[in-house]
Amino acid sequence: MAVEVKRQNLPLFPIEDRSRWWNPDLPEGDPFAPGHRTCAGCGPATEYRLHLKAAGDNTITIGPTGCMYVANSSYMCTPYTIPWAHTPIASGGSFASGVAAGYEAMIRKGKYKGEYPNIICMSGDGSASDIGLGPVSGMLYRRHDALLVCYDNEQYANTGIQTSPTTPYGGMTTFTPPGPKIPEGKKLWPKELAKMMAEGHPWAYVATATVGYPLDVMNKTRKGLNYQGPAFMQVYAPCQKGFVYQTPLTVELGKMVVECGLFLVWEREPDTGKYDYFVPDQQHLVVEYLKLQGRFGHLQSEHIAKIQAHANRKWESIGADVPPEFRDAEDPAYYAKHGLGKAGATATATAKAW
Amino acid sequence: MSVTIDPVKTDVKPAESSAPKTVRISGCTAAALGAKFADVDVVTAYPIRPYTAIMMALAQMIADGELDAEYIHSDGEHSQFSIALGAGSAGARAYTGSSGVGVTYGYELFSFISGARIPLQMAIADRTLDPPGDFGSEHTDALCTRDMGWLMGWAATPQEVFDKTLIAYRIGEDHRVLLPQMVCQDGYFVSHISGEVELPDAEQVKAFLPPYKLPFALDTKTPVSHGAQIMPEQGPPLQLLRAKAMEDAVPVIREVTDLFGDIFGRRYAHFIEGYRLEDAEIAFFIQGAHATTAKSAVDHLREKGVKIGIARLLWFRPFPTEDAQKLLGHLKAVGVVETNLGLGGATSGGALALDLSTALYPLTERPLLTSFMAGMGGEAVPTHEFYWMAEKLQKVVRDGRIEKLAHWVGFEE
Repeated sequence: MAVEVKRQNLPLFPIEDRSRWWNPDLPEGDPFAPGHRTCAGCGPATEYRLHLKAAGDNTITIGPTGCMYVANSSYMCTPYTIPWAHTPIASGGSFASGVAAGYEAMIRKGKYKGEYPNIICMSGDGSASDIGLGPVSGMLYRRHDALLVCYDNEQYANTGIQTSPTTPYGGMTTFTPPGPKIPEGKKLWPKELAKMMAEGHPWAYVATATVGYPLDVMNKTRKGLNYQGPAFMQVYAPCQKGFVYQTPLTVELGKMVVECGLFLVWEREPDTGKYDYFVPDQQHLVVEYLKLQGRFGHLQSEHIAKIQAHANRKWESIGADVPPEFRDAEDPAYYAKHGLGKAGATATATAKAW
Repeated sequence: MSVTIDPVKTDVKPAESSAPKTVRISGCTAAALGAKFADVDVVTAYPIRPYTAIMMALAQMIADGELDAEYIHSDGEHSQFSIALGAGSAGARAYTGSSGVGVTYGYELFSFISGARIPLQMAIADRTLDPPGDFGSEHTDALCTRDMGWLMGWAATPQEVFDKTLIAYRIGEDHRVLLPQMVCQDGYFVSHISGEVELPDAEQVKAFLPPYKLPFALDTKTPVSHGAQIMPEQGPPLQLLRAKAMEDAVPVIREVTDLFGDIFGRRYAHFIEGYRLEDAEIAFFIQGAHATTAKSAVDHLREKGVKIGIARLLWFRPFPTEDAQKLLGHLKAVGVVETNLGLGGATSGGALALDLSTALYPLTERPLLTSFMAGMGGEAVPTHEFYWMAEKLQKVVRDGRIEKLAHWVGFEE
């Protein structure tokens, strides 16, 4: 006889306000333990800790090739106190599907005694939006009870900073270097990965988040895990090495990218089908975000104006106000007028300082 | 793709009485029934001819409530094999399969799965590799993965497919081995032609195949890490362990084959089935379905006084060097019948001759060895072609030397 599959239900953390000072009691445990070899200020490692803190010990985690494989599990030493497995870079969604199906069958057939484990796959943006895109869609399509997280550091960082489909327009990588012929470096605009997953798989829990809002990351993790079906999260997590910024700014960048309108934070519950967008209480020009990072140091006024226009359209798309100054900043002339000239100058200085 | 429904489908229930039941089924249905008797937990499928019929049969068994397993339609073979790997790593018995370019599409996973030491099983119904598109059977698909650490062998009849499915799981899941298995059958010649298959009693299977127990499953009660990144010097010990597991599989294959015979009453050779070899001077070395035709050709030649026999290979990996030496060492000439493409290899022919030559080379007295490219593109190998090959082998004996390392049968006088 079939055995009923018992699933976990993790309580959400109270969020009374979303300010940076709100700090409720968090679980003591850290299934992502200290002792890994990620860079100082690593966004994805910070994020990983939040996911696993939220998920707890009855969790299996899966790591397709990427930074969070290599830097975490260097030389046969891993920081996981829970089961973890490496997979080929394209196999995040498919391996997770296999683990999920294995547990469904084993518990149902009485071959495994215990609650259904949380299954979290941590795919980089190259894995989730490029080579492993089909398998991620496959996992969501087939409704496996698992959470696939794209830790989005906007590049292939593990291989030495190459462009991925989520690298922003104007972002310098070793595959998109700026030069006299191609002054902006990266000419393409990033894929809307989470939207693709949400629109294409209406039955899935889909959310975006950034390391700028840790409790939001943890609650969305729990919501995705509690949901009896597939879940997908795309989480912006800066990479100091590729973005070229001062390491203490990782969390700050996670807020700035939202406050500049370049990364929308939202969740889409499958039962309502509605997108719940987070509108930050302050807004900044994109140049404020760009100038913190060396990867934008080569940008000229016209490129920054384009990025501002891109952000403005995003603000409009979620019904947020677009201040008149932001509209003015869609004109390249705006930057000379305000003494920003070659507006990437600050970023260049940042880069050089490093 | 269009669908071929087996005439005798899945209206086969596990034997409830103790009396064995005989059915007429294709190789594909036999594979599916093997998986069902093995009580697999996760089946993962992606369509490509001709192995698809295995997955069609399993889908029907699950739909009919005859098998309780998760059935996962994958988004491609790379994912398909990754799903099987995930399920196997979780501790579930996983079953998958493919044909032709499907095998090569998922190539990354072959080393990955054996290196992870996950003893899942893959059924292959052979098919040529593109281009151009050809549905015919050629062993190239599976053979191009031959050095990736999988146990690999060919079945020549539906009965053998069924039996090998159980035997392979039993060997691969043995903790002395822990390696994935590839159970191969020629596309169409075995996969889509019906033969009599004796189905066992469920109790017999229970006695033969214990529940799958991976010693390092992804289980939160006993946390483990799989596949942590390593320093170069940490690699060779692991590779050596995998090589050792392949060697250790040799005695386990002998043991399990004998055990199978004891429980089910069908006795197979451990590695190489000899046919009229004892007093033979020349022999065909062959694997898979064409051995059936070869047997009737050999019978005919024997009537004419030609001292010829057949050595049919049942496991290509691990390659049975010792058995090959014992069975073939006394012959004057051996003709390897290749149904695979080994472009630019030492023989400019196929892959089997390379292993057999190496296996026989250490002998002080050894047969002359040549090879025949036959059945390429999925063509049948009719008896007259075996007669032609036998003539070539007789000429080798007469001349005391081989004419060439590889003959393309049908393209030469």
